[in-house]
Amino acid sequence: MDTIAAIEEEKKGFQLSDRWIQIITTVAIIGIWELLSRSGLIKPVHLPSPTRVASTFFYIMREGYPQDITIFIHIKATVWRIIQGYLLAVVTAIPIGLVVGSHFMLERVANPVVTFARSIATISLLPLAIAWFGIGELSSILLITYGAFWAILTNTIQGVKQVDVTYINVAHMFGANQRHIFFRVVLPATLPRVFAGMKIGLGVSFMVIIAAELVGTVEGLGALIQQSRLYYRTDITIVGMIFIGLFGLIISFGLDRLERVMLPWAVGLEEVKR
Amino acid sequence: MNHRKFQRTLWASWLGFIIVLVIWQVVASVGIRDPLVFPGPASVVEAAIKNVPLTRLLEHIGISLLRVIMGFSLGAAVGITVGIVSGWYQKLGNVLRTPIEILRPIPPLGWIPLAIIWLGLGESSKVFIIFLGAFFPIFTNTFKGMVAIDPNIVRAAQTLGIQKNRLLFKVIFPATLPDIATGFRVGWSYSFGLVVAAELIAASSGLGYMIMHARELSMISVIMYGIILIGAINLITDYLIQEVFLKRRLKWHYIETAF
Repeated sequence: MDTIAAIEEEKKGFQLSDRWIQIITTVAIIGIWELLSRSGLIKPVHLPSPTRVASTFFYIMREGYPQDITIFIHIKATVWRIIQGYLLAVVTAIPIGLVVGSHFMLERVANPVVTFARSIATISLLPLAIAWFGIGELSSILLITYGAFWAILTNTIQGVKQVDVTYINVAHMFGANQRHIFFRVVLPATLPRVFAGMKIGLGVSFMVIIAAELVGTVEGLGALIQQSRLYYRTDITIVGMIFIGLFGLIISFGLDRLERVMLPWAVGLEEVKR
Repeated sequence: MNHRKFQRTLWASWLGFIIVLVIWQVVASVGIRDPLVFPGPASVVEAAIKNVPLTRLLEHIGISLLRVIMGFSLGAAVGITVGIVSGWYQKLGNVLRTPIEILRPIPPLGWIPLAIIWLGLGESSKVFIIFLGAFFPIFTNTFKGMVAIDPNIVRAAQTLGIQKNRLLFKVIFPATLPDIATGFRVGWSYSFGLVVAAELIAASSGLGYMIMHARELSMISVIMYGIILIGAINLITDYLIQEVFLKRRLKWHYIETAF
């Protein structure tokens, strides 16, 4: 797999393990950052020191920013919006995708429209959403739905289309009826691709919500980093970004895990595609 | 897919758009909503021609594209360089990848507040955001492409007595190009969404600004016009990158995978 690593390994005997290099690098970066802040080369308004960020981290858990809105309230607001918008996309996109994908003509008619709708940047719908639904919950939820919907839809359609015809023929030969073929053959064969779409969709949802929250909400992680910027509380902005990063990490890691548990037959899909 | 069947049903591609336009027009004409709030396609075009002069529109498009191109080229240059260096020198690569992997889960839009603090409200903060949007996918794909090269290719070249520099530039780099191309496409559409977002939040020109400004004036037709335009430009530029540029330059790769 790792060609260059293999070449290097042949030449050398003992070496630091990857994990240690990563830890040392991280510690070194934080150390240099702290030193630069202390020496005054970097102004705290631009980049507060790691110790300052750490103390703000605890401050924001206890006291909150703006007053009394703790980080947990922000996280809850963001998560709740994602859940609502995302679920709406999942329950609409998957059935539509399954139907469209299994009919040749329907797919031909829908394909250009889907391609176009997908290439519309979701964020560009923000002004329209605000004009129609006002600034607030509904706008952000529907934007998430829009972004996630097309990602899940295209992948579901592709998934159905790419089901190996041999599977269906074999099921036919063994006397399976249409319903059986759909639920026992087509659906399981499509699921890995659907899941891939759901993963992309969740990533999109996350990006969309951060952007939507930057514009005119009080609660939510996006609102936190934007509000604190307006008052030059860079330390809070950075703490907010750390939480956003952790959140993004949980989303991608959690889904990979979930996929392996739920769809054991999809293992190696990555290799097959190549 | 069967090529002849595909050709025979080419008309169906247009049918989809026509159906959508007709439904949109009918719903708007029935008048459940005020036509100012929900304009039909005809009034969108009419209002757009009346309210947005062509020169002004071209100016907005030009500015947005310029920002994307600046940020994207910067992101591509740095992404490819760091990706290749990380793949080639394993130890150094590990050091470089550590901060990149830590920062990667933060969506580029989450950098907007910090970018404004660091670089102000001018051009550079927007270019910075787009840079991030292009950098991460291009870096990741370049690096993945480097480490996923078939070892036999490398061994064959070594058996034939290749020098180290030539191995990198004549064998490994070309073999990575298809992955870099994937990174380019992902990075481009990403950058394009980001420029609009950045312009919505802080700008006085560009397509994002145009639609945000139209919202302040409650000109919904102009907003819709802008949205469709943004989608169309994204589609066209993506097509140009894929068909005209990548497929021609990387013909040797696409011949195998073409359907």
